[in-house]
Amino acid sequence: MKRTLAGSLLLLLTAVAGCGGGTPQNTSGAKELEVLYKVETTWPYLEKMLGAAKKQYESAHPGVTIKLTAVQGNNEAYYTKLALLNRSPDSAPDLYYHDTFQVNADVAAGKLAPLDDYLAKWPDWSTQFPDSVKQAAKGGDGKIYGVPISTDTRGLWYQKDVFAKAGLPVPWEPKTWNDVLTAARTIKQKLPGVVPFSMYATKIHGEASTMQGFEMLLYGTPGGTLYDDAQKKWVAGGKNFTDALTFVNTVFREELGPKQADAHNAKLGDKVTMEWFPEAKLGISLDGAWASSAWKPTGTKPWPEWTEKIGWTPMPTQNGEAPGAVSMSGGWVMAMSAYTKHKQEAFDFITTATNKENSMAYSVGTGDLAPRKDVAADPKYSADNPSVKFWTDLASVTHYRPAYEVYPKVSTQVQEAMEAVVTGSRTPEEATANYAKALPAAVGGPDKVLSR
Amino acid sequence: MTIVTAPPPPVTSRPVRGSSRRGAMRWLLPLGPALVLLALFLAGPILWSVYIAFTNETLTGSASVHSRFVGVANFVKLFGDPNFLNSFLLTFVFVIGSAVIGQNTLGLIIALLQRGRGRVTRSVVNGVVIAAWVVPEVVAAACWFSFLAEEGTLNRVLGVSQEWLYTAPMLAVILANIWRGTAFSMLVYSAALSEVPADLVEAAAVDGAGPGRRLLHITLPLIRRSIMANLMLITLQTLASFGLIYALTGGGPGTASQTTPLYMYEQAFRYFEIGYGSAIALVMLVIGALFSLVYLRLIKVEDA
Repeated sequence: MKRTLAGSLLLLLTAVAGCGGGTPQNTSGAKELEVLYKVETTWPYLEKMLGAAKKQYESAHPGVTIKLTAVQGNNEAYYTKLALLNRSPDSAPDLYYHDTFQVNADVAAGKLAPLDDYLAKWPDWSTQFPDSVKQAAKGGDGKIYGVPISTDTRGLWYQKDVFAKAGLPVPWEPKTWNDVLTAARTIKQKLPGVVPFSMYATKIHGEASTMQGFEMLLYGTPGGTLYDDAQKKWVAGGKNFTDALTFVNTVFREELGPKQADAHNAKLGDKVTMEWFPEAKLGISLDGAWASSAWKPTGTKPWPEWTEKIGWTPMPTQNGEAPGAVSMSGGWVMAMSAYTKHKQEAFDFITTATNKENSMAYSVGTGDLAPRKDVAADPKYSADNPSVKFWTDLASVTHYRPAYEVYPKVSTQVQEAMEAVVTGSRTPEEATANYAKALPAAVGGPDKVLSR
Repeated sequence: MTIVTAPPPPVTSRPVRGSSRRGAMRWLLPLGPALVLLALFLAGPILWSVYIAFTNETLTGSASVHSRFVGVANFVKLFGDPNFLNSFLLTFVFVIGSAVIGQNTLGLIIALLQRGRGRVTRSVVNGVVIAAWVVPEVVAAACWFSFLAEEGTLNRVLGVSQEWLYTAPMLAVILANIWRGTAFSMLVYSAALSEVPADLVEAAAVDGAGPGRRLLHITLPLIRRSIMANLMLITLQTLASFGLIYALTGGGPGTASQTTPLYMYEQAFRYFEIGYGSAIALVMLVIGALFSLVYLRLIKVEDA
């Protein structure tokens, strides 16, 4: 009997030991760094850049291997996967590609390592990164938690052939929201079958709906903001909020936007760049600087004529209020896990991935704006993209999201409000009231909310 | 994971009444490891998720490291949440429409029609129906996506232009789930019908009972236990159905097809509210248990 018991216990222990584990046992003493990143079939640029960085790094650092772990899918899928892996030190990657709007939530959770001590010894940080870009991944504690890989601005793209056929002026320079809507109405009236105006406005597009869609409107209203910096409180709705939603409502009630099926299609962005714009089936698109990257010779939908067929112009403020235009900026960084055991080696990989060569490859591929001064100044960077100067100059009117810890939750509430308006289930006023009601729970209490 | 199979209980030493303590030890000890493993990997996670449902745990942010016990706050929030109530209603419609009415009835009809048919016919019909059942949910969803799309087969056949997934999302997911799940009911009923004595049915026919009366008064009463068991199983399966709806409509447009499992996924894994998501899961578990109780009760009433 005793022997049975002992045997059973032994078996059990083996089983438990087999299930546990986690950290790979490196008997050889070699170090391995796992890098998590995202890849989509239409978006292979980051993977290419990291592959090159891995080769450079491994030849310069014998004894350290880089393990590249890809997450297939869109941003939302990537955020979820990363958050789940980060639940345990055993599964957390050592380094990861990180959206700046998630940084503060992860700093609060103690998942990111501050980089200040390492950055102080890296000459590129002080010489090549402009001060505005350095803030991209700054935590609430003032420390830096990531080195920028990209930054961006947002505005309007338009199809010149569509505009010409509809009798609209080219170049087009809208001064108010109404100018945008009037152009869209003209296209709808003159060219049936053409989508007049495309924007991201549903939950399936996640942060793209909040930032490219809603915030591009809200921050263009007089004093419009999600967060009051002076009082350090979140703004609950108000007229600015309703006005922004009213614009969305007009677009979808007057059928100036994509059909509902397309508005709720995760692949709307691909449709815009790969079908509608090249086939002259879309008039205007409210989107980011990167939208043209697919049309490059190395892109997923090479379209050499795009530089003549496509125009770009700033998104105007509501009634043309100063400074006349609005833009939003965000970006992605390479961040280091607080759990990694090889911090110096991990930081060295960050410097490799964001050196001039790799940063250039990434920016040219994606169409995102280069965070490094030496890349931005290089003629190769803007060689086949005449729009780069325009998007870079938008930095003078750009806004940054209030990327505090609770921002991702606020963002999801904004998406709820927008989608309710898109489907017509709520009026802009009702959706605003709902947002105001849901906000205290999202930001951690009514004392953190400013009623408007 | 290493899998441990428990040694079979010794058959020769059945516990004898009176000396049950020693007897119990005899079979408990060899079974011990299996029980411990079950407790560790099955009961453990379940209890843990019950605990999480009473906290404000999130996937990231400060609440992921300093989560605290919030009592029934998640449940209070849940029952005041119009989106949850909406999802609950949709789940009910989905279960009744696709399982109780759709799969169950269609499965029975196919099984009845197959009685007495030739082997070839039966193999072909079985093959087609079961094929829909064995394909992964995502593949089934992809098939229905292209079938219902604007330039899809259905619109071609009907000669109309309809965005079915956006104009009638619930109908679309219900039809897709009937298509996918009917095989299970069909197999259950085929087996049950083969147990119905042929001479009984023939005798009724000789006495002048038509097909309708034979079905109502002979066949159905004889297979009633299978009907209840089938209803219980497909209800539980459908209640938890996720992949098909997620891949087909993602719960949209808006929340028009967001059943409770999708709502739970959104809260837990897109909005990172693990505590709240667990509370929803717990409520679903209770609803599933209630459904099972009702069916079990019905079987008992039938037997009495």
